[in-house]
Amino acid sequence: MQAVDTMSRSRMAEGRSGTERKWRRRALWALVVLLPAVIVETSYGSVRTFLGNNDLIARDVAWGSAAHFGGSDWQLTDLRTALGMEGLPANAVPVLADFTVTVGDPDMRNLWVGCKVFLTDASGRQWTPTATVSLRAPADVMICASAAFSGAKKGDRLKIRETFMVPKDAIATIRVAVGVGSERPYYLRFQRPES
Amino acid sequence: MIRRVSNVVLLVVAVALCYGMQTSTPHYARLTGLIPVRGGIGETIEARSFSLKVAKIGFAHTLKLNAFGKEKVLTTGGLWAIVTAELAARDASTSVWGGIWQGPAGLRYRTSERLGVAPGAPPFSLEPGLPRKVRFVFEIPADQAANATLLVASARFSALDSEAQIKLGTVETGADGLPAGVIETFDLDQPI
Amino acid sequence: MFGTLRGKLKAWITAGAGTIAAILVAGLLGAFGALPKPEIQHFAPDATIETGQWLIKPLRLHVGEERVYGLPVKPDEKAVILEVELTNRTAESTKDYFTAIQLAAPFADTTESPLIVLTRDQTMSPELQPGLPERMAYIWTLPKDRSLPASLSFTVNTQIYKARDNLYGTPGWYNQHPAGTVSLPLQAKGGGA
Repeated sequence: MQAVDTMSRSRMAEGRSGTERKWRRRALWALVVLLPAVIVETSYGSVRTFLGNNDLIARDVAWGSAAHFGGSDWQLTDLRTALGMEGLPANAVPVLADFTVTVGDPDMRNLWVGCKVFLTDASGRQWTPTATVSLRAPADVMICASAAFSGAKKGDRLKIRETFMVPKDAIATIRVAVGVGSERPYYLRFQRPES
Repeated sequence: MIRRVSNVVLLVVAVALCYGMQTSTPHYARLTGLIPVRGGIGETIEARSFSLKVAKIGFAHTLKLNAFGKEKVLTTGGLWAIVTAELAARDASTSVWGGIWQGPAGLRYRTSERLGVAPGAPPFSLEPGLPRKVRFVFEIPADQAANATLLVASARFSALDSEAQIKLGTVETGADGLPAGVIETFDLDQPI
Repeated sequence: MFGTLRGKLKAWITAGAGTIAAILVAGLLGAFGALPKPEIQHFAPDATIETGQWLIKPLRLHVGEERVYGLPVKPDEKAVILEVELTNRTAESTKDYFTAIQLAAPFADTTESPLIVLTRDQTMSPELQPGLPERMAYIWTLPKDRSLPASLSFTVNTQIYKARDNLYGTPGWYNQHPAGTVSLPLQAKGGGA
């Protein structure tokens, strides 16, 4: 028994130098590559979902020009306030945003999933369309969600209007933004007219 | 000998630690539930997506409201508790589904569904920069009026969002055990 | 020789302990399962029935036509209305009373679930608050020509409370099963609010 013990112990002492040490070092260096790879692989799906669900990166569009977005060309034709309405809180102003969209790819029910038109101001606050204020619109003017399912064909010009309720102090800096499912995390942000 | 004793001691300590950790772990519903933000009446509580300030609470035997042109009187076997508060969205348009009146012993009463879709009934839609005065209306037994807590969250079922918890404090009771300031009819149509 | 036998026996028992336990448990479960089931409890018509979530006190059973508690009834149908006093025994507002009372045979084939109305102000199925008894009306619609006996039987169901559900780990009321039956006399027409 004793002889076997001392033999194996000395063999262990030898193995510490030589090939074993070389491969141990290589394994440790491989960790530097493997750990980030594992993190990327396991979180890839979550990151993609996050980017696909949030409007994060703005694409600025000058006032009056059109931008190709979600397969169609979007142009902001009007951004105005509606004054003199009754029954609203003292500080609140209804704002209307009008778009003319020239349909490019008619598959809007898939490209425009989760269509979200919103206003953002200088401090980053966001306003989504409100149901509290309902102003009568002409028959051919739709909200974005209805326009996506309107069955329009390539080349049709759609009129989209969304209504918001915004505090008076934000009117000076609000800009209109549009986000659609096929373009997230990018979203369109229309600049104010130079005045 | 020492080795054996120390092994046994270590084993006992490990068992005690594990058992202690198992029994003191909060329930799963609390671990994944809403994160409280506490305050009292008159304080502005900042939750994640909204801010809330409770102005006052009132009690009544019946409620009066106008629904679709018809006047309705809502009676109850207990009391109506009306909490008047100011809600504001913080950074983005949001909504608050309603509230929970948690009695002193932990019984939870949700905002009454009997108000229907009358204006002023929850869910309350909020826009940033436009604070809004709202009323939370609850139907409670008279013994739940004192030392209650108001719980308000943005969505009814959500994990790890924030929940405003406001201690509503003691309520003076009259001789009959009912709150001292209870009125006969509360008119929900009067402006807040 | 006996030494090795003892050793072998020990080895067999150690190896087979799990299997022996499993067979014993299965046998016991089977034996208990085959016992005659306890009788379904019959509740008296004027008693308050205690289920997991509700205290149910049957009040009145009658038939209605045309308009019942603000709800229209089709011209070729009639409504069987059971008025009960429900008290919420749980710690939260709940409206889990839709299957608490069901029509028993021979009307158990009525597949529609009843409409449930708060009689106080004819609100449809509101949440009931803990500790506040409320008078509710369960309304079943049957074809007008279906004959009704002098008394109808109802199955009262109950659920058990689990602090930690198997699937979600959250508290709730599960495993609905009958708590008993109750028979009520059908009152003559003249009811229906």
